[in-house]
Amino acid sequence: MTNTTQGSTMKEGYAARKKAVNVAVYIILSVMVLIWIFPIVWLILRSFEGEKGMSSSHFLPQKWTFGNYIKLFNNEDFMFGQWFLNTLIVAIFTCIISTLFILMVSYAFSRLRFKSRKTFLNIGLILGMFPGFMSMAATYNIMEILGLGKSLVALVIVYSAGAGLGYQVAKGFFDTIPRSLDEAAKIDGATRNQIFWIIILPLSKPIIVYTALTTFIGPWTDYIFVDYFMKDNQETYTVALGLYKMIEKEFVTEYFTTFCAGAVVIAIPITILFVIMQRFYVAGVTGGAVKG
Amino acid sequence: MDYLDYVQMTKGQRIAYKIKSFFRGIPGAVGNFFRLIGLFIKKFFMWIGNGFKGYGSRFAKGDIGTKLSYIIMGAGSMFHRQIAKGLIFLATEIAYIYFMFSFGVGYISKLYCMNVKTTATVDGQPIDVFVDGCIGQEALQKVEDDWGTQTIVNPDTYDDSNRILLFAVLSLIITVAFFAVYIANTKSAYATQMTLKEGKKPLNFIAEMKTFLDERFHITLLTLPVLLLCTFTILPIIFTIFMAFTNYNEKHLPPGRFYWWVGFSNFADVFYSNPQKSETFGRILVWTLIWAFFATFSNYIFGIILALLINKKGIKFKGFWRTMFVITAAVPQFVTLLIMRLLLDKDNGLNAMFGTHYPFLDDGMWAKVMIIIVNMWVGIPYTMLISSGLLMNIPEDLYESARIDGANAVQQFTKITFPYIFFVTTPYLITTFVGNINNFNVIYLLTGGGPSATNYYAAGETDLLVTWLYKLTKDSKDYNLSAVIGIIVFIICALGSLITFNMSKASKNEEEFS
Amino acid sequence: MASNSKKAVALVLTAMMAATSLVGCNSGSGSSGGSTTTTSTAASTASGDASGDTSAEESVVDLESDETIKLIKDKIAAEAEKTDGKITMKVWCSSGDLKFEKTLIKEFEDKYADSRYTFSIKPNGAIGEDAAGGKIIESPKDGADVFNFADDQLSQLVEAEAIAKVSNVFNGNVKKNNTDDAVAVCSSGGTPYAFPKTSDNGYFLYYDKRVLSEDDVKDFDTMIAKAKAANKSVFFDIANGWYSTSFFFTAGCTIEYKDGKQTATYNTPEGLSAAKAMCHIAENVDNGFIGAAGSSGDNSTVQQGFKEGKFAAAIIGTWCGRDIKDALGEQNVGAAKLPTVLMDGEQKQLHSFGGYKVVGVNAFTKYPTTAQALAYYLTSEQSQIKRYNERGLIPTNKNALEDETIKADPAQQAIAAQREFAHPQGSSVGGKYWASNIAGLGSEILNAKGKLTDAELNKKLSDLVTQFKG
Repeated sequence: MTNTTQGSTMKEGYAARKKAVNVAVYIILSVMVLIWIFPIVWLILRSFEGEKGMSSSHFLPQKWTFGNYIKLFNNEDFMFGQWFLNTLIVAIFTCIISTLFILMVSYAFSRLRFKSRKTFLNIGLILGMFPGFMSMAATYNIMEILGLGKSLVALVIVYSAGAGLGYQVAKGFFDTIPRSLDEAAKIDGATRNQIFWIIILPLSKPIIVYTALTTFIGPWTDYIFVDYFMKDNQETYTVALGLYKMIEKEFVTEYFTTFCAGAVVIAIPITILFVIMQRFYVAGVTGGAVKG
Repeated sequence: MDYLDYVQMTKGQRIAYKIKSFFRGIPGAVGNFFRLIGLFIKKFFMWIGNGFKGYGSRFAKGDIGTKLSYIIMGAGSMFHRQIAKGLIFLATEIAYIYFMFSFGVGYISKLYCMNVKTTATVDGQPIDVFVDGCIGQEALQKVEDDWGTQTIVNPDTYDDSNRILLFAVLSLIITVAFFAVYIANTKSAYATQMTLKEGKKPLNFIAEMKTFLDERFHITLLTLPVLLLCTFTILPIIFTIFMAFTNYNEKHLPPGRFYWWVGFSNFADVFYSNPQKSETFGRILVWTLIWAFFATFSNYIFGIILALLINKKGIKFKGFWRTMFVITAAVPQFVTLLIMRLLLDKDNGLNAMFGTHYPFLDDGMWAKVMIIIVNMWVGIPYTMLISSGLLMNIPEDLYESARIDGANAVQQFTKITFPYIFFVTTPYLITTFVGNINNFNVIYLLTGGGPSATNYYAAGETDLLVTWLYKLTKDSKDYNLSAVIGIIVFIICALGSLITFNMSKASKNEEEFS
Repeated sequence: MASNSKKAVALVLTAMMAATSLVGCNSGSGSSGGSTTTTSTAASTASGDASGDTSAEESVVDLESDETIKLIKDKIAAEAEKTDGKITMKVWCSSGDLKFEKTLIKEFEDKYADSRYTFSIKPNGAIGEDAAGGKIIESPKDGADVFNFADDQLSQLVEAEAIAKVSNVFNGNVKKNNTDDAVAVCSSGGTPYAFPKTSDNGYFLYYDKRVLSEDDVKDFDTMIAKAKAANKSVFFDIANGWYSTSFFFTAGCTIEYKDGKQTATYNTPEGLSAAKAMCHIAENVDNGFIGAAGSSGDNSTVQQGFKEGKFAAAIIGTWCGRDIKDALGEQNVGAAKLPTVLMDGEQKQLHSFGGYKVVGVNAFTKYPTTAQALAYYLTSEQSQIKRYNERGLIPTNKNALEDETIKADPAQQAIAAQREFAHPQGSSVGGKYWASNIAGLGSEILNAKGKLTDAELNKKLSDLVTQFKG
């Protein structure tokens, strides 16, 4: 995010040529930005379109309206408000449980040394390579037997039960905290439990934020599991599935612009969250962990 | 080159050297990989052998309590005055035995039943049922009168195949877990015996509990996550793997119908014996690999170029440019992809705006190209973000010496920048490649696997193995086939990442050399 | 329990016989003379069924009589007892029908209201009529107790034993009141499994009278030429198997679904003729002809196309009738049977799928009688007439079809004219048929703008036939 301007003071011999190159770069960047921003702008403009249907040949709305946003929360076919709430609930619980699990597991793998550590790490790596929804049918059967079919609890479980496998990024972070801290605390008589809560966690704010945000965003964007798990139970849909339903064949004409409004509503908070946490994201990915 | 040569190099040369040796290591890594697999198998059997050896020797050297604990769990602990611990072990054993006799054995034996099939005539139609004693024939009762027909499931005698398989797998997992506790029990008995022998006092229960906050804190931390992982990830995966060996498909759907073991015939179908399925599999596999390759490297290379442009000296508003791209990356993928799908529709979106009818997503070849392009749109900002940070870390003297040698900008990129970033981001590349093989969203939300074609089994021209898997589960109900595909995807990903992982490990070893 | 109820039924039935012979007229309107003959034929077919009572089967129970209603209430109460006097049921219908279905359910609840139990019946529009069968099979226990579906899914449902037989009492009435074709479609192997609801699950031609005349719409080529001249298009979604199968029927291919096996003689000279006829039309693609609906689906495309004045004609069904009328104005909407197409050098009348929308009862429902009674109510004469008035969907009930407004409906006339060229779905196609391959043929032809050689087409057709085998 910072402007690096070290180069600007350097004296250059080929000033004119440099300038021409820079102008070219500006042009390329501007064109690219236009291409990249265009669909987003198109989406936002459509969400203010007063005319129904998706075949509009106009870029700007033919009739400006805010009605789509009202219709989003107030219509006969889709209970978007309910879905929004569902997603929020699922996201909050998933976030808390997953973050806790991830921190616990990655702390154990990073700072503690025990006999079967390597085995566990390998098993984790192997499990991560199975396609996530390969066993979706089986998982649904389990939920049914537990009496949790079609419930939000089932979603929270599905999203957070496997969270332990997502330890790589946090583990990479914990690895960078100097071990001497642990040693010093140990000499002072602290147990590993105390070290975890009192010393390591306060130092790990960035990774906690990163983990919490990613696990919070997950339920907002998952389509596969909700679709398979919730079947006909519209009361427990989440926004991703709900929005997808809006542009299914039966509804697309009537609800296309409403879909756009819904997409904007979902995209705004997530976009803000992502922009805030982008530096954690970069740190996380380039931390160097090999993930399955 | 030996150590002396190496230390004489400048920093830049060292990096260049490392990069070179990394690429030289590729063929070796592949060979190494197979050697490692051999090693792993050897190690595994050694581990089992050692386990038995330890198990036997502990028994031989154990006192009466330890020996007793081989049959009655917790006996050793109680014998050594660790009553609470002993009781817990004992309770575990009792609970396990009770569970197995009331539940587990029945289901595990029904796994065998899934093999024994006879044909009976119901309503004048032959249907497959299982021999008596396995699954009661009266389990599914049809109650019928002039006012209504009802199928009643009798829970005492009825089990659908799903429940049998699921509970059997559960019983097996619990057995494995019990076995681990059992071994821990004998070890603990022996360890306490040794402690006593040395004249020390064994830990009392409370003190032992306290170790779970310290020496054995990892157990405290890992128990719950592992437990949930076992129930909701490992159990379903094992279930699904078993499913691959059954005929669980449209024609054998519980609860109305049963399914049973068919051995490897599903795998045979996918690989050679059923031309519809095997040809579809072949086409989809090829496209999956092509897609993963292009999706990974197009994003990667263009992302780096974009980062270079933004970070070029003399370019102003760097923060602005970056933010513009980050915003598009930040919008949830399912939103951007659905928008793209509508924008690229044959009659709407862009086509409507320009009054054209390009079959962007309606023609196989067009759709494949468009998918890769849209994926670039989705993915380039990510790569840009990541490589931006890395670009600043490239040692300046590398460029300096290159310039002195008369290298132009392009040469600098191909000779320095790209290899450097490639070297640093290899793990990321592996992850992305595997991720792209499993990239459900881009394909499913953009084209839904379409356009449809005459010669694909339950798939369209742009389906990847994973989206095919999903469709097989969700639409055509070929659960067995989808399990086979899941296993194949797993094997591809595992092989791919193990080979490359080994490679980067080999190059890391090289680093240690310095 | 079963034998008890049989006795009760026998009793009631004898009472009914007496009652009907006295009153002479059955439920609602309709001629009493006709009803006696149908009764006897229905009974004679029904006697082939499993249940043992002999004398009782000779007549059809009058479901509207007070005694029967009371008896049904008793039945419902007995079923409700097991769930603490509360009947919780779910009904799947298409999302468009949701509101209408709600009113019908309300009526049903009022009709059978009783102090011994309370109803909680919820219609659900999440699973449409095209998907209901598949979803029921996937997990019957999660499925709706009563579900609306298209008749082609019946064989799958029966195979999976997920659908309940229509019980004798209701079946007698269903057989008596609905057209023979509709009743035939609802049974499999001689056993009735569903309640016929609407007879319009087929397609025909809607056109804009201002652009095309009655003569223009007789053959496809003229129609396209005229539309092109007016700078408009003809829409026929041949990238959709349901529509494109028309060509194969026309060419005389046999398409059969039996014992879970799909056969289709597409890899024959007839199949090739059909494909070539498709190619011939596809030459005009995006130039007077639109052959694929794209991601918005056939219905939306048609609605939108007429609304924006892009379409001169479209091959679609009654479900779009309302929107087309709104877009063109009632007086400008024409409806006709399908046009002829150029095949093997001559004009041949296009055949079609002519299906029914039906209602089924989940085999695993907790409330078998209640569910059957509800399914019957949803498809009764009054409900079918209301459905026509509210939703414009054509009934299967004989009396309802005699209704003057329905008779005069151009859509109904078009369906009737197309009827002799329409093929039933249930016996022709199973679930595997709709897997994307048949759609693939259409879209490949469209993408090539019809320029495919015979060899290429033959290859595609034989691929197609292989894929049908599953």
